[in-house]
Amino acid sequence: MKDELAKRLVQGLKSAGINFVTYLPETRLSQIVPLIRDDPGMESIAAASEQEAVTIAAGATLGGKCAAVYMENTGIYVSSYSLLTVGKQLGVPLLLVVGYLGGVADQRNSFLYATIGKHTVPVLVGLGIDYMILEDGEKLEVKVNDAVRAANSLRGPFALLFAGEFSS
Amino acid sequence: MIRHECLELLAAKVTDQLVVTSQSGQRIEWSHLSRHEGNLLVGMMGCAIGVATGLALALPHRKVIALDSDGSVLLSLFNLATLGNLRPKNLLIYVFDNGVYSGSRISYPTATSGNTDLAAIARGAGITNAHTICDIEDFKKNAIEALRRNELSFFVCKVEEGLMHREIPRPNTDLAENKYTFVRYLEQTEGKVIPFVGRG
Repeated sequence: MKDELAKRLVQGLKSAGINFVTYLPETRLSQIVPLIRDDPGMESIAAASEQEAVTIAAGATLGGKCAAVYMENTGIYVSSYSLLTVGKQLGVPLLLVVGYLGGVADQRNSFLYATIGKHTVPVLVGLGIDYMILEDGEKLEVKVNDAVRAANSLRGPFALLFAGEFSS
Repeated sequence: MIRHECLELLAAKVTDQLVVTSQSGQRIEWSHLSRHEGNLLVGMMGCAIGVATGLALALPHRKVIALDSDGSVLLSLFNLATLGNLRPKNLLIYVFDNGVYSGSRISYPTATSGNTDLAAIARGAGITNAHTICDIEDFKKNAIEALRRNELSFFVCKVEEGLMHREIPRPNTDLAENKYTFVRYLEQTEGKVIPFVGRG
């Protein structure tokens, strides 16, 4: 991902009200981590597992923060339990910022990632989590803002899956 | 040590602290002992400490208590490594360790009835104030007194397996109802709006 796109993504998160981010870094979107960590308007928490990243973000949301969870799409599988029990069952809004490895538009797709990518959307659908796939920077800020508003309105997680230009 | 006795002592001390409970027998006993609006039930095992951590980070001036079980902590050991590095000073964790998966109804032993020492794991993860409590006097002296300190605390409370929670009527509060009561209580006591609620 080009640095300019990373800056726009982080600025888009801020503009949408995100002020608390839990994360496990991955390869596609990792440039956003130092930008978030260096931003005094965003609290960032490194988690040891995506399952934990979801629960910490949920607690922060209940405490008044507007939280996002940044993870690789493998983290959707790892955190599906807490996404269902805390995100869906308890009804806590969370923005999921997901590096979409192995999707058709993943510019670094290979046999290593394709199976992981193939099942991501069906798993989200199975969990009842709405999502949007972003492949370029067109209207990026608008889409991030739409996703945060959708999560808050649905009282649950909403996933942004980043592929295409974001994965190069 | 009897869990219900520990919870009775704790309930008498809770004022404006936030109390997060996980899905285990202790949540039924706690809901019977405490009608505090700052109680938050997280519906399944393995998520309470994470949610309590997020609350503690979002509200660093507010004391947050997590009530958990050995089975639940074993399900989410990664929390200990994260807490050992974050060390939020306003978070206290009480793990009621009865050494069995009581909910299984066959009292199947957890790892803590074997060789596993949760307090030692917590200390190894970086939680320096992690202790095992074996009797009620020690609970009063250390675990209850910790409410007055400003330090991340992790108490593994060794309790007997009990069936009292099966005799107490289960709480009839829906998870969502409990969440909104909790959030409204936070809004009232914090004097701020929780962003995701209340705007139609």
